[in-house]
Amino acid sequence: MNWWRRLSRPGEQEARLDQEVSFHIEERVSDLMRSGVSEGEARRRVRLEFGGAEQVKEGCRDVRRARWVETLSQDCRYAWRNLRRNPGFSVVAVATLALGIGGITAIFSAFDAILIRPLPYADADRLVMVWDDMTRSEGDSTFFSTPAEWFQWRRLNTVFTDLACSQPGEAILSGDGEPEEIRARKVTWNLWSVLGVQPALGRVFTYDEDDKGARVIVISHGLWQRRFGGAADIVGRKITINDTPHEVIGVMPQSFYFMPSRDIDVWMPASFPPGLRNNITWHNAQIVARLKEGVSLEHARKSMAALSLQVTAKDFRGPHSATVLPLREEMAGKTQAALIVLLWASAALLLIACVNLANLLLSRGVARGREVAVRTALGAGRGRLVAQFLTESLVLAGVGAVAGLALAVPAMRFLEQIVPEAMGAIRLTLDWRVLAFAAAASVAAALTFGLAPALRGSRLAPQKGLRDGGRGTAGASSHWWQNSLIIVQTALAISLLTCGGLLLQTFQHLRNTDLGIRTERLLTFETPLLRYQDFDRRVAFVNAELEKVRVIPGVAGVGAISRIPLTVTDGSRFYLLAGQSRDRASAQIALTRVVSHGYFGTVGARLREGRFFETSDRRSESPVVVVNESFANRNYPGRSPLGERLKFERLNEKGYWYTIVGVVKEIHERGVTEDSRPAIYRVHEQADQSNDTPSGIVVRTAVEPASIISAVRQAIWSVDANQPLARIRTMKDIVDRQLSTPTQSSALLGAFAVLALLLASVGLYGVLSFAVMQRTNEIGVRMALGATSTDILFSFGKRGLALTLAGLAIGLAMAAVAARSMTSLLYGFRPEYLLTATLASLILLAVATLASLVPARRASRIDPMVALRNE
Amino acid sequence: MASSPKSDLPQGMLDLLILKAVALAPVHGYAIAQRLQQISRDVVQVPGGSLYPALHRLENRKLLAADWRQTETGRDARFYRLTRSGRAHLEAESASWQRLSEAVRLILGMAEGGSR
Repeated sequence: MNWWRRLSRPGEQEARLDQEVSFHIEERVSDLMRSGVSEGEARRRVRLEFGGAEQVKEGCRDVRRARWVETLSQDCRYAWRNLRRNPGFSVVAVATLALGIGGITAIFSAFDAILIRPLPYADADRLVMVWDDMTRSEGDSTFFSTPAEWFQWRRLNTVFTDLACSQPGEAILSGDGEPEEIRARKVTWNLWSVLGVQPALGRVFTYDEDDKGARVIVISHGLWQRRFGGAADIVGRKITINDTPHEVIGVMPQSFYFMPSRDIDVWMPASFPPGLRNNITWHNAQIVARLKEGVSLEHARKSMAALSLQVTAKDFRGPHSATVLPLREEMAGKTQAALIVLLWASAALLLIACVNLANLLLSRGVARGREVAVRTALGAGRGRLVAQFLTESLVLAGVGAVAGLALAVPAMRFLEQIVPEAMGAIRLTLDWRVLAFAAAASVAAALTFGLAPALRGSRLAPQKGLRDGGRGTAGASSHWWQNSLIIVQTALAISLLTCGGLLLQTFQHLRNTDLGIRTERLLTFETPLLRYQDFDRRVAFVNAELEKVRVIPGVAGVGAISRIPLTVTDGSRFYLLAGQSRDRASAQIALTRVVSHGYFGTVGARLREGRFFETSDRRSESPVVVVNESFANRNYPGRSPLGERLKFERLNEKGYWYTIVGVVKEIHERGVTEDSRPAIYRVHEQADQSNDTPSGIVVRTAVEPASIISAVRQAIWSVDANQPLARIRTMKDIVDRQLSTPTQSSALLGAFAVLALLLASVGLYGVLSFAVMQRTNEIGVRMALGATSTDILFSFGKRGLALTLAGLAIGLAMAAVAARSMTSLLYGFRPEYLLTATLASLILLAVATLASLVPARRASRIDPMVALRNE
Repeated sequence: MASSPKSDLPQGMLDLLILKAVALAPVHGYAIAQRLQQISRDVVQVPGGSLYPALHRLENRKLLAADWRQTETGRDARFYRLTRSGRAHLEAESASWQRLSEAVRLILGMAEGGSR
């Protein structure tokens, strides 16, 4: 136990060394003094002949260190030799470990990139988003805010150092080159200081420039490279946006990005008009704020909720609250839950792998009894043996880790698609953090699977081991170890299987959701209508471009809409039904869309009652609308809404009264995974009411949508050569992108589950096989005494079955708990838990039975004569 | 003490001498140094920087075992004693050294003036 003492109390060892050396020096000095030398002279002489105490001690320390290194390298060499001598075992062990370590490393790299790596802002943990809380009106709680609220919050809050406001902007870049729509945001001057970022070139706009609406802009690194070739003179250059010259005053660094997505190209001053504070404008503002020093999130939440109620008290829509969310959470979105689940699943897989290995090593430990006995008899302390076995485990884990990293790389490619929209395209790489994690995981794994076998293996009493001739018998306690490990494995495997099944169900459900439109062969793109502020010109242009596209060969239909369906954008307004008092509107929100006549037909929407729009619906003082089912069911339960009138957006006398002429079956306007909301559709020609314009175009094609893109471009440009087309993509792409997180999650979890099942059954098989081999003698005796093959078969098969059932029970309980915590990943869908659990159990039982039967059969087939002779 | 020239000992040699010094009875580091110096008539003077690392090395190799005891003067000191394998090693190495030194003596003697 010497080494243990030395390890646990290094201070004491140092003190002892000091004591030993000092003793020598003092004795020598005393001797010299006794022979008449003065103390000072004695010490000097001793120093000369003995050497300095510190150097002597250092020499001893060197010996200690060298020994340690020597021991370690010796152990490593021994371990390596051992591994090579048992290739079968080594390959299995390394493969098992590679799966476990590779899996968790890959997941961690995504976890790190999305949830841990610092965002490109100063002190990003203090940044939050502030949203309106409209839980009263609609189920969903967060809602865009308004600049008026931003102004008040900024003035009155006590919890933030500053708040900045960001609104969507429209920007068509023209001038040198093709007209191009670029992603723009209108932001207040203090956005940069709130985020704590500096431009890479030039500067950002000041309060004055924002206030006076100066035509200055800050552009992104991407735009600078893409459109201007990284020109060195970009700062100060004037570029044409929306037909007006704007001066570029700054360029942001390449690593910079902010909400709502990574591809924002230009930031313009918000330039709120002076009458803003009393003006209720659209709810489309994102507010980002920095928490004051020492203010907690909870405190800020409460404070802002109260403040908002106070500020909106005199709002005609009624007071509403506000909520505060950490920026990181906003950006990670649903991906966070998926990653957490995947991390647990990969940890479970690694655990199963370790358990398998532990079992394997325990069995081998028994077989190595002779070797251990010999070495113990020769004087190796138990500590030495344990250290050596652990070194073997570490070497094994190291090799497994290297193999695992090779596996992790393709897994990371696959995972890159799981990255949330807001964070854009991230590359997952094996950087130092990921590698450090892999190393830590390997060490943890080595300890997990290596400690028990090391402790047990080194414990064998020498005579016992020598007498048994090396085979050793598995005593009752080793049985217990093996059994519990098998149960743990089985439990983990069934949990993974069940949860994987649940996710798979959810994914299937999402895939098969009725989206309300036909998504195949539907091309979508946007033609921003910024330059058509005049209503009549706009109507004329839209009709003209639709007509031009319609006649392209291969086009089956074309329509326009203010926001492409299934894209996660908002566009809600308050509405009022005929007969309601004005203040009811504050509690009523619906999605509103402006469409062309042929829109519903083009997207393949289905009618519940009434009619869709027709070309006869022209400009009118009593325009018509089509509402969706949720709207009809909510506001006119049990009866037909046809003929009813409503107002929306402009609720004063200047607003039109619309008549409902049709009810459309739900279209998932907000996205595949989002639930649907009440919606109102109107025809763009009929009334000059809102700022919503039918800038989105959908084209149903009879051929591959991609093949007509250039024809479409030509068609649009034949009407207006300066009109940019933006975001050209097919509806199928949109759907696939939205389904990517659930797709990946279920694919990965499914893969983990299958691997877990495989490993667990291999583990069971291994343990039982080994038991058969060990007990061959015993079997021979039993058969000689009259046991039949079937008896033996049952005897071994029973053990396998019992273990599996125990693991099953525990695992199903674990799965139930896990499923509850996974609800956010299920997108509100309630999968059939019992069905999944039953199916998973059956699969596991089938595989486990097979794994038990094979060795059991082998046992039953043993020739008693051979067995008895076997030594 | 400063009169006779000191010899530099190769490490294996020092180990052997230490083992021999310890062979009789358990003894502490200072006593070993004293013993070696006295018996060799001051030829072998081992500085602490060689002695103690050597002692610890021998201890690591399980040729010596050590524990703390009290000296006659009542102070605590670390006493070293030979282990079984230490004794075996000492015998083997001694024999080997005797053979070697006898051979060297013969060769050196021969080089002077031809055969005797």
